Amino acid sequence: MEDELLWNDDSRALQDSEWSKLSSDFTNAGYREGITAGKEGALQEGFDDGYAIVGAPLGRELGLLRGMASALLSFLSKTENIQKHAGLEEARDIASRLTDIRFSDIAPPDLEAERHAREHLEADRKADEDLDFDTNEGLKEKRAIESLEDMMKRMGAGVATSAEVQTRPTADDVQRLRKRLIALSESVGIALQWS
Amino acid sequence: MDFDLEALVNVEQTFYEHGHQDGYAHGRIHGLIEGRALGREKGFEMWEELGFYEGFATMWHAVQMSQGSPDDRTNHHIKQLLELIAQFPRTNPSVTEASDLDIPKLFRQIRSRYKALCATLGVRPTLRAGGSSSPTRQVDDPAELPEGARPDVSRRVWPMQAAENQPPREDLSF
Repeated sequence: MEDELLWNDDSRALQDSEWSKLSSDFTNAGYREGITAGKEGALQEGFDDGYAIVGAPLGRELGLLRGMASALLSFLSKTENIQKHAGLEEARDIASRLTDIRFSDIAPPDLEAERHAREHLEADRKADEDLDFDTNEGLKEKRAIESLEDMMKRMGAGVATSAEVQTRPTADDVQRLRKRLIALSESVGIALQWS
Repeated sequence: MDFDLEALVNVEQTFYEHGHQDGYAHGRIHGLIEGRALGREKGFEMWEELGFYEGFATMWHAVQMSQGSPDDRTNHHIKQLLELIAQFPRTNPSVTEASDLDIPKLFRQIRSRYKALCATLGVRPTLRAGGSSSPTRQVDDPAELPEGARPDVSRRVWPMQAAENQPPREDLSF
């Protein structure tokens, strides 16, 4: 093949193909190493952002509600007062609904991640199969386990249950539970200073 | 063909650098995305637990106030617990420079204070998911840091470099 080209009158074709091979070989090698370097350099920055902007505040919000519901529940179950005892069921319901909520239910979407995923889809034909940059394996695994949990739950709940079991809670549900918790506290005479 | 070897080497270098530049920009996007996903998850886990203790203490404090007969020991534990939690950084401690804050120690103190509070209240402590693990598992074993990791990495509380190269289960189990 190369010999044929070499003896061909049109040596221009040879030059062009050699040239573009050289160009793409080195460009690709650089690209590959650049991607690794760029990724490693940005991981910590991304981590810190995700931690401070989304993870910690959302976790704290949900944790606060859960802790309050837990305390209220144990207080109400210990008290002798009949009127307060009536609030027990409500407290139990709030606590169990709060327990059911997962981070993935209330986490806002990572818009940049979604946009970039779309870009990849569009450029799919060009994508290099060697480079797998999907979400972190551990997180992927966690989502898989969660969807398995959902499936088990549906199976356990049987056919007769309403569609409610199948819809995951949302951030709005968290706000509703928060209001219920405040209302319940007030109804049993506990004044909360909300931080 | 007449070849200027040096020019050819430069040409290779130019191609390489051009590719590297593009790749770096692309890799950076992926690093940020993956880092954010992990950071969100970790921040949520840590602060869900801390928030739980905070909410628990806050509610019991309000209960005590409404009862009109505050118990000194209980109130002491509540106050201490809330003070400890207030010390806990809301950003990844790796970004707060030159911090002499001992995060694992603080976390242990918070957990045991919560348990002490539960004991005085006569309430069974809720088993938190990661109650037994240390938040700085990765840092405890520098051998797990990959080669070429920056030296300052060991000061970071949750080095991403380590997280990337270990079985993720380990890192995420708090």
